[in-house]
Amino acid sequence: MSIIVGYVPSSEGVAALETAITEARKSQKLLVVVNSSRGDALVDRRYVQGDDIAAVADRLKAEGVEHLILQPVRGNGAASEVLQAADEHQADLIVIGLRKRTPVGKLIMGSTAQQILLEADCPILAVKAAPRN
Amino acid sequence: MTSLTSRLKGRSELGVALLLGAAGVLVLWDAAGLVTPYSKSDPVGPKTVPYIVAGLLIVCAVMLAINVMRGGQGEVEGGEDVDLSHPADWKTVLPLAGAFVANILLIDWTGWVISGTVLFWGSVWALGSRHYVRDGLISVALSLLTFYGFYLGLGISLPAGLLEGIL
Amino acid sequence: MDVFSSLMDGFATALTPMNFLYAVIGVVLGTAVGVLPGLGPAMTVALLLPVTQVLEPTSAFIMFAGIYYGGMYGGSTTSILLNTPGESSSVVTAIEGHKMAKAGRAAQALATAAIGSFVAGTIGTTLLAVCAPIVVKFAVSLGSPSYFAIMILALLAVTAVLGSSRLRGFASLGLGLAIGLVGMDSVTGQRRLTFGQPLLTDGLDIVVVAVAIFAVGEALWVAAHLRRTPANIIPVGQPWMRKQDWKRSWKPWLRGTVYGFPFGALPAGGAEIPTFLSYVTEKRLSKHPEEFGKGAIEGVAGPEAANNAAAAGTLTPLLAMGLPTNATAAVMLAAFTSYGIQPGPQLFESEGPLVWALIASLFIGNFLLLVINLPLAPLWAKLLQLPRPYLYAGILFFATLGAYSVNLQAFDLVILLALGALGFMMRRFGLPVLPLILGVILGPRVEGQLRKTLQLFGGDPSGLLSEPIAVGIYIIVAIILVWPLLLKLWRRSRPQAVPAGTAGPLPQDDQAQAGSDLRMAEADGGANDGSEMAEATGSTNQSVHARRRQEEP
Repeated sequence: MSIIVGYVPSSEGVAALETAITEARKSQKLLVVVNSSRGDALVDRRYVQGDDIAAVADRLKAEGVEHLILQPVRGNGAASEVLQAADEHQADLIVIGLRKRTPVGKLIMGSTAQQILLEADCPILAVKAAPRN
Repeated sequence: MTSLTSRLKGRSELGVALLLGAAGVLVLWDAAGLVTPYSKSDPVGPKTVPYIVAGLLIVCAVMLAINVMRGGQGEVEGGEDVDLSHPADWKTVLPLAGAFVANILLIDWTGWVISGTVLFWGSVWALGSRHYVRDGLISVALSLLTFYGFYLGLGISLPAGLLEGIL
Repeated sequence: MDVFSSLMDGFATALTPMNFLYAVIGVVLGTAVGVLPGLGPAMTVALLLPVTQVLEPTSAFIMFAGIYYGGMYGGSTTSILLNTPGESSSVVTAIEGHKMAKAGRAAQALATAAIGSFVAGTIGTTLLAVCAPIVVKFAVSLGSPSYFAIMILALLAVTAVLGSSRLRGFASLGLGLAIGLVGMDSVTGQRRLTFGQPLLTDGLDIVVVAVAIFAVGEALWVAAHLRRTPANIIPVGQPWMRKQDWKRSWKPWLRGTVYGFPFGALPAGGAEIPTFLSYVTEKRLSKHPEEFGKGAIEGVAGPEAANNAAAAGTLTPLLAMGLPTNATAAVMLAAFTSYGIQPGPQLFESEGPLVWALIASLFIGNFLLLVINLPLAPLWAKLLQLPRPYLYAGILFFATLGAYSVNLQAFDLVILLALGALGFMMRRFGLPVLPLILGVILGPRVEGQLRKTLQLFGGDPSGLLSEPIAVGIYIIVAIILVWPLLLKLWRRSRPQAVPAGTAGPLPQDDQAQAGSDLRMAEADGGANDGSEMAEATGSTNQSVHARRRQEEP
């Protein structure tokens, strides 16, 4: 029984995390934060390190949410890491962030969100970034 | 590190000494086979330097062997992108060498565009990328680009092979 | 002003649109490879050697020089932002640079590195323009015995001084010399080490050897030990400096330059020692010594300037005497060879316009580097996100392409793979690659010089000592070779400085070596895991200690 959230340090990722925290507090379930990297480049901006990951942990503690932060680096894509975590923790909800993509961008890069939507066995909550004011 | 692996590592360096020794003997043997009449215009002759090189190699081989037996060890080369905490990853290196060999075998027959595609795609795969389609597109594009780039830009015509007439 | 007018002609050549374009390509490529992990200027120039077949020499060298200087700039960016210095010369920059970046002063660290590199590079290049002709004047006065001695010095200095194990250096040199022997002897036409293979008659192409050792060997080696964890990069905006930073930077820049240039010009001087010296000096002279270790700007400014001045210094012996003192210079020498240009004292005379255009292009390249590095630093940092599979597959792809395009024969690719495997093995077992490359390039020239010299003296070896300068150089060579022994004696005379050795005495020790130079090689060839000084000096040393221990009551 848990809620899985795919987290990346971007406005979509933050929106997803916020929503997931709200959901977890409401339902009093374990919140599993997944932040993975394929580990195939020297630098991966989506992989949170050092003070930033500590800040996320502090935030979750402050909210009083039972949580787990996973940061697997084993050559897999983000989608399969989220799906695997959902499997292991018997997720009943996956929260992901969505961003706008051009058609060409979709064609070349594939879509993490799409793979999760198609392959997950539980409901998925897709969140968009808060509009900038 | 267990004592077994460290002992094995120490021993594997003896292979380097063996290689040096073999190279030295080879150079020596080759130089001995040269027939040269003494000539006033070339008192040193073509044999002298090979003898010196062979001597250097053989002496290095012997001393390296002694050094290794006494527990000496070469300093493994590090680097920005090198992680020496895990042993050599042959599952990456061997397929990589395989892609390289495939290119050697294919290049004259199928031409650069095909063999180069095989080389790049195979290397990317060996190094762990699993975006098959994207990698394939990049491989083909790279091979075509270099083929025409070399032809038009540098005036070097790489072999067209099977695609002769199409390219 | 002879130098000045030659240099102006050089600028005229270097600023033609085509050559300027190659300078731009060179500095952009150079910065990129400096930033990218696993790629260095030596490998890049090696990968680009095939262009020597079609490009004009001037354009090619302008591009290569841009890559050489660019690599230095790019290297400092990664050491500051990532704390992963790509080359040994930027290790010192990383010490304070990364601390600065962590403290939120990445922009200032990058700025002082880039501007310092510019200042040092410009002064260094000026010194090069002034010194090189003087060195040439001296060098052309030398007879062939002296010239032979200088080449021996260059070979042995690089082999014996650089790297941690002299024995392994000499092993590498031997392999290089053996590779250099392959092919037809230029004097008698005898075939050496060809094994009846007609394809080997012309020898191994230096392009193939350089690409194999630097590119294929390196790519395979990195592939075997790929780092799988993402590094933590510090985000950065556009580099800039405050008035205070300028005030604290300009003196270290100048002092770094003073350290860097002479060391770069010496055979085996390199950039490591001057960067380190500069760091120590700045630490001592700084008004803020407490900041050292926490991100002192002087600790970035000085070493980075020293690094670039050393790069300029390196080109002095290369252009004036044809003697390379580091890997990139060695590959550039290979490029000269593949153009059929004889590097050496005659270079300035026979290829004057080329050399001066090259020097002028260094000034231009330096300026371009400042322009593209200051505003574009955040963009360069993005390059680090390139997935490794593409990077290393790309290296192999272009290595193959380059080696194949030389003769269009698959046989060269077999050689490429074989020597690439050799390069892999050398990295695995700590054999330095530079002596091998120098052996391949300089070996045949040393042999030619030896035969030419002895021909003049009718085969009498004492002819080699017929010039006082030659004798002087052999004395230097002897000192370099005997140095570790002297060091040991000195340590022995001050016993408290020496921790007792660990290993017991071994009987082979005294009888095994007769040759004086190789004895030294062995002396340093011991355990070199970079642990303790006493450990690092190796087995002979240990047995000396052990013997000493026995003598003690």
